[in-house]
Amino acid sequence: MAHFAKIGINGKVLQVVTVDNNDLMDSNNVENEKVGQQYLQLHSNWPAELWIQTSYNTINNTHRSGGTALRGNYAGIGCIWDEDNQIFWPKKPYASWIKNTTTAGWESPIGNAPAITAEQQADESNVYHYSWNEENQTWDLGTSAPINIVVDE
Amino acid sequence: MEKKILSEQLLIFSDVVMPKGFEIDQDKLMADTIESSLTNKEFPFSRTWDMLNIYIREHIGVEYKIKLANKKTWSDTYKPNTLSEPLLNINHSNLGDSPDFTTLYGTKVSNCWIKIYYDDNRRKGKSWNIELKENMFIMFPSSNIYTISNEQKDSLNFIQTITYTYS
Repeated sequence: MAHFAKIGINGKVLQVVTVDNNDLMDSNNVENEKVGQQYLQLHSNWPAELWIQTSYNTINNTHRSGGTALRGNYAGIGCIWDEDNQIFWPKKPYASWIKNTTTAGWESPIGNAPAITAEQQADESNVYHYSWNEENQTWDLGTSAPINIVVDE
Repeated sequence: MEKKILSEQLLIFSDVVMPKGFEIDQDKLMADTIESSLTNKEFPFSRTWDMLNIYIREHIGVEYKIKLANKKTWSDTYKPNTLSEPLLNINHSNLGDSPDFTTLYGTKVSNCWIKIYYDDNRRKGKSWNIELKENMFIMFPSSNIYTISNEQKDSLNFIQTITYTYS
C-alpha cells in the first residue's frame, strides 16, 4: 500500500488515503508517484499535483525500519506541506519554535531541553522532566511523583 | 476562577476555494435544482455536488476537528423580493433522526440574506444576519430557525442545503 496526502489550497493536509501499489505502476512496471497522482485525480476530483506521496514509516526524517526517509514525516490531517523543503510539518507546538529541516522537526529557539542528569535519574522519589515555558523562553525543570505499578500474580 | 463552556452555537462561513480547473460547476447545480423541482425527485448526486460536499466536510474537519456525516441535501430557488418562511431542519418529535448542522451554499445568488435566530440565555429570539454570496457556504446548528431573503428584483436565487450529523 502507498499513502498519499491530499493538499488543500493553503498547504494543509486535508486527508490521507491509501492506494494499491498496482495503481502506481508505470509502463515499465515500476512504482511511480506521478501514476498514483493521476489515478487519484481521476477518482477523487482533486488535481494530481495536490496529491503528494507520504511514507507511513517516516518520522523526523528517519525511516523506522532503516529504509529511505520520505519527506520528513508521515503526513497527518492538519499537517502543512512545505513544497520548498519537501517536508510535511506537524502543527507548530509553540509560536517561537523554529523549523529544523534536517530533523524535520520543530525546535525551541534555545535548542533541546537539557538532559536529565544521572543524579536526577537516580532519585527514586521524583521523576524529573523539562517543559517549555513560552512566556519566559526557557526550559523549566519539573518533578512528579513516580508511578508504581504493582502487578498481582 | 475557572470557566467551562457547556454548549456553543457554532457558526462557520467561508468561500469555497477550489483548485484551478476543479471549480464547483454552479450551472450543473442549477440545472439539477430545476430538474429535481420539475420531476419532484430528490436532488441528484453529481460529481460537482460531491466535490462541494467533500470540500465542506474536509475543511470543517481540518479546521475545527468536527467529523461530519451526510444527512440530506436539497436545493431551492427564491424569487426576487421574497422572504422565506421560518425554516427549521430538526424534527422536535424525532430528534434522534434529525441533523446536527445545516449548511447553505450560494449556488447562484445575489443580494441574498440569511437571518439566523438564536437564544442567548434569557434573551430569546436574537438574530444574526449574514449575506450569502455566490460560491460561499454558511454552516450553523440545525436547531436554529432561519429565514432566507432575496432582496434584489431581477433574478432567482439558487441555494443548496446540505445537512450533517456528527460522524
